[in-house]
Amino acid sequence: MAEDSVLTVSIVTPDGSVYENEARMLIVKTPSGEMGILPNHIPVIASLDIDAVRIKVSDNKEDEIAVSGGFVEFSKNVATIVANAAECQADIDENRAQAAKARAEQMISKAKETNNTNELKRSEIALRRAINRIKISKH
Amino acid sequence: MGASLMEVKRRIVSTKKTGQITGAMQVVSTAKLSQIQRHTQSYQIYASKIRSVITHLAQSHLLDAKAGNAKQSSEDGSSKFSGFDMLQKRPVKKSGYLIITSDRGLVGSYNSNVIKQSLDLMKQNGCTVDNTVIIAVGGTGADFFKNRGYDVAYEHRGVSDIPTFIEVREIVRSMVTMYNSEVYDELFVCYNHFVNSLQSDFHSEQMLPISEVNLDTDSEGIEVPNAMGNEDYDMEPSGYAILEVVLPQFAESLVYGAILDAKTAEHASSSTAMKSATDNAKDIISSLELTYNRARQSAITTEITEITGATAALE
Repeated sequence: MAEDSVLTVSIVTPDGSVYENEARMLIVKTPSGEMGILPNHIPVIASLDIDAVRIKVSDNKEDEIAVSGGFVEFSKNVATIVANAAECQADIDENRAQAAKARAEQMISKAKETNNTNELKRSEIALRRAINRIKISKH
Repeated sequence: MGASLMEVKRRIVSTKKTGQITGAMQVVSTAKLSQIQRHTQSYQIYASKIRSVITHLAQSHLLDAKAGNAKQSSEDGSSKFSGFDMLQKRPVKKSGYLIITSDRGLVGSYNSNVIKQSLDLMKQNGCTVDNTVIIAVGGTGADFFKNRGYDVAYEHRGVSDIPTFIEVREIVRSMVTMYNSEVYDELFVCYNHFVNSLQSDFHSEQMLPISEVNLDTDSEGIEVPNAMGNEDYDMEPSGYAILEVVLPQFAESLVYGAILDAKTAEHASSSTAMKSATDNAKDIISSLELTYNRARQSAITTEITEITGATAALE
């Protein structure tokens, strides 16, 4: 492998492109575990968990971006992450995330009381999103 | 004569003021139009990405296989929120129509166009008041169909001028839930497609169940990249699992695209309507000014005649 090989990472959401940069390595979390993508990886499509996407820009610099699900598509050294929502570390409003977390927790207890499984699932996803945001903003 | 002069003058002033307002509204609509067009561009990237992955998965015939499986799994009585239910075709008992109109007026023929064409489409599909469910985005459509006794299962008012994805998500979610709980067995989306700032066309497409047909048809002029078809992708964890993630995302993006498109057309239509209103105001003002000047002149002529008549009498 060439010394200077890099991959381009771009994250797109319906509200526009959130992130675009060259990187040495991309680490994503799939439902079956973490997956690292280095330059010249074979083409791959993977679905993503609600978690952080880590992008190693250089040896000592790493960007972290919160994504809420979606998938990553990689080919020809271009990785595209397609997600409903994604936020860079700087864009996360921690107070809002905390409020969302509290709200989601409330919804969960309510859904459990009324045995509303659909609502429960939704609020659990909302809670995971909130926790993910809080985690990343603290780094 | 004096009273009529004043009256004409007052009308000129008031028409001028109306013209000023419509002129300002035109400027606002034009600004919104260019803003939303910029936004749509960034959305297109997202939409074409999803589309390309879906078409790729469709080419590997995952959709056919899974549509069969979904039928079986739903017979188990599980009503979980799953993407595969969207593929499943059912005998159509009730049809759903998502009709996107605007909340406010002053948009020219925008609303009446959508409503009229939607009614035509319903007639064509043999839908009557009894077997149709309306989902209305925008107040005008909601009111219209309610007044005519249609079943408006969901209405959403107050879509912002540049709708964000989070706003629309709520709509999509309830649409899919209603589909899964068999409120309707097929869903059409009806909206005005933005062609250019002077023209918009009525568009309707079947959104649910997702079929190969609406994957292949290139609905909003999004180019389907063929580059992906030839590549052999590794699927992680599996093709089905990815499909389960991508299908709901695809449906969401379709509806979001439709709403964006409709909003763009609304801004364009409002800008055109306001422009013609301003032009009309200018026409009225110029004809009123003519009347005013004529009246003024004849008043002066009468006065002169009176004065000369009076001096002649004195001599």
